[in-house]
Amino acid sequence: MTANNTLLRISNVKKNFSEVEALSGVSFEINSGEIVGLVGSNGAGKTTLLRLMSGVYTPTSGSVTLGDNTPVHEMRDNLGVVPESTGLYSRLTAWENIRYHSRLYGVDDKIAWKRTVKFAQSLEMEENLARYTKGFSRGMRQKTALLRALAHGPKVLLLDEPTAGLDITSARTVRALVAQIKQEGGTVVYSTHQLFEAQQVCDRIIIIHNGVVRADGSPQQLIKENNCASLEEAYVALTQEKARVRFEDSKSESGITKLWHKLFRPKTPKLIENAEVFEDE
Amino acid sequence: MNKSGHRIKTIAKKEVVEFVRDWRTIVAIIIIPILMFPVLFIVFPILLESEAAELDSKNVQIEIQFNEYPDELIPLFNTTTTLITEVNTTFSTSLSDPLNDLERVRGMEIDAVLRLNYSEDVWYYSIIHLSTSESSSEAKGRILNALLIFENNITAERIDEGGLDVDNTLDPLRWDGDVTKADVATEGEQAGLILSLFIPLVLAIWTFSSAIQPSIDMTAGERERGTLEALLGLPCTRNELLMGKWLGVATITGVGVLLQIVGLLFAIGYLASSDFIGIPSLSLEAVILIILSIMLFAVMVVALELALAMRSHSVKEAGSILGPAIILIIFPALFTQVINLDGIESFWFSIPVINILLALRELLLDRVIFEHVMIWMITSILYASLAAYYAARQFKREDIVTTLS
Repeated sequence: MTANNTLLRISNVKKNFSEVEALSGVSFEINSGEIVGLVGSNGAGKTTLLRLMSGVYTPTSGSVTLGDNTPVHEMRDNLGVVPESTGLYSRLTAWENIRYHSRLYGVDDKIAWKRTVKFAQSLEMEENLARYTKGFSRGMRQKTALLRALAHGPKVLLLDEPTAGLDITSARTVRALVAQIKQEGGTVVYSTHQLFEAQQVCDRIIIIHNGVVRADGSPQQLIKENNCASLEEAYVALTQEKARVRFEDSKSESGITKLWHKLFRPKTPKLIENAEVFEDE
Repeated sequence: MNKSGHRIKTIAKKEVVEFVRDWRTIVAIIIIPILMFPVLFIVFPILLESEAAELDSKNVQIEIQFNEYPDELIPLFNTTTTLITEVNTTFSTSLSDPLNDLERVRGMEIDAVLRLNYSEDVWYYSIIHLSTSESSSEAKGRILNALLIFENNITAERIDEGGLDVDNTLDPLRWDGDVTKADVATEGEQAGLILSLFIPLVLAIWTFSSAIQPSIDMTAGERERGTLEALLGLPCTRNELLMGKWLGVATITGVGVLLQIVGLLFAIGYLASSDFIGIPSLSLEAVILIILSIMLFAVMVVALELALAMRSHSVKEAGSILGPAIILIIFPALFTQVINLDGIESFWFSIPVINILLALRELLLDRVIFEHVMIWMITSILYASLAAYYAARQFKREDIVTTLS
């Protein structure tokens, strides 16, 4: 892989939320045509990293650049994003949702429609494009969000847990679409905490744990470098210390709200005392 | 149209389309505003009239207790709808003391009791009634009407017996000619005065209240439903997003306010035909300034509501902030109604909310005072800019993508 192939460059990125350091000096590059898996437990920093890549967040320090060192928020036309929540408007049809985003990308409706129809066939969604998304299942919502992210022809597709909560068939369809994008030379960053899925879909896996990149390489490389029999064993070996738990940032709460919460915080019984009570009973 | 303008238009259009697709919105922004004033000014008076007519034809039972028969009083009652029982008695206590009639009136055995005690050329009276009963109140009203005529007759009789002219004695001061001709204000100005008492109030309250729901839906609602994150990853800037959403809320609110004014004008047109109120006569510059003042007010209010809603962590929180915030409009709006416009000090036109409401009042009276116009225009632009700046700051916050819910 040559440096010329580099599409997205993450250089020593730190991201803090109040006192919490969500990402601590993360660096890696995404090359053109790669399917890169971001793997980590809940709270590892995958979503924060994806939000930094999509320009929703700005790094506290370091940089996220696209192509010729252009900050990513200036080049968002080149990205297609599918957030975990899918973010569909229930009172719009699937096509209207797709068209809304493609118009904001500045893409002509006809071009967006052509691309949508092409990928809708792969996802078996043609019949549903004219339907309101209100009654859509999780799988249909995810597929619509994927179509929406692809309609403007992005260079890089950022997917945040695209198969989370999907049934087996829908998950397979999504994975098949990612494979199709790869065949067509597309680049995908694929966040997941399912190792088997990462192994199946991705050329390269980046393991993130507690805001730090622990490993970066192909599934075979990770297994070999850690002298393990499987990717799961390698993952466990690389992420041995306890995963941190992230609480919602209470800094944004006003003083009155904090005082109110303090006054009405329910009392939690002490575990040892409780145990004694149960023993007595 | 440049790229930025195209994006703002796309965002605003989508917001309006999505909002209008909810039938409850149609009721809230079209049906209610257009029907509110006609119902208030046309249907409500008709309802009151029919209620009054129903009361007039209602049969009521009255008992007249007296120590001396009031022969001139009895014929004053309409006996077809008023059933009268006469009881000759003597009174030993105060006439207002209900005594045995308490239970009879409370039990609605009888609607009212008129007590008359004639003593030394004076008729003393009291009416035992039940104020919470419609029949009893109607009976009391009929008794009072009859007593008024009865008293006037006695007064006239006694003046006549004293050798005086009744009319000249009772009405020694009289207006000469047509009262309405003496008012030099034109009919249009008089209509403007009446309208200036409630149009600013209605416009201010309706603009604020009708912007609440769309503001919350397009900010905290989007945040809660997870649609905001996808939007923030698009090439549009946060300012474009704010402007698009502002335009969406302003369009929805504007349509609501406009329809309400149409309903109001329709009601006025109906009332004008009954000479109750006329169409205000306004100069072109007054009309332009009215529109401008409403627009500045809308910019400020909508931007402020969007900012507060975006600042909130959830729809519930946004609702609990913006709902009570209407007090910020209601109090100044009510206060403005009692401010005397003649010789008003200029500083009033620099106070937020009050400045626009006073400007509307003055302009509806077709008073275009350059100094006042300059003050409210400059201060309103300043407040609208501050509100827009505050909203822009809220939209640029990084944490708007997350929600506590």
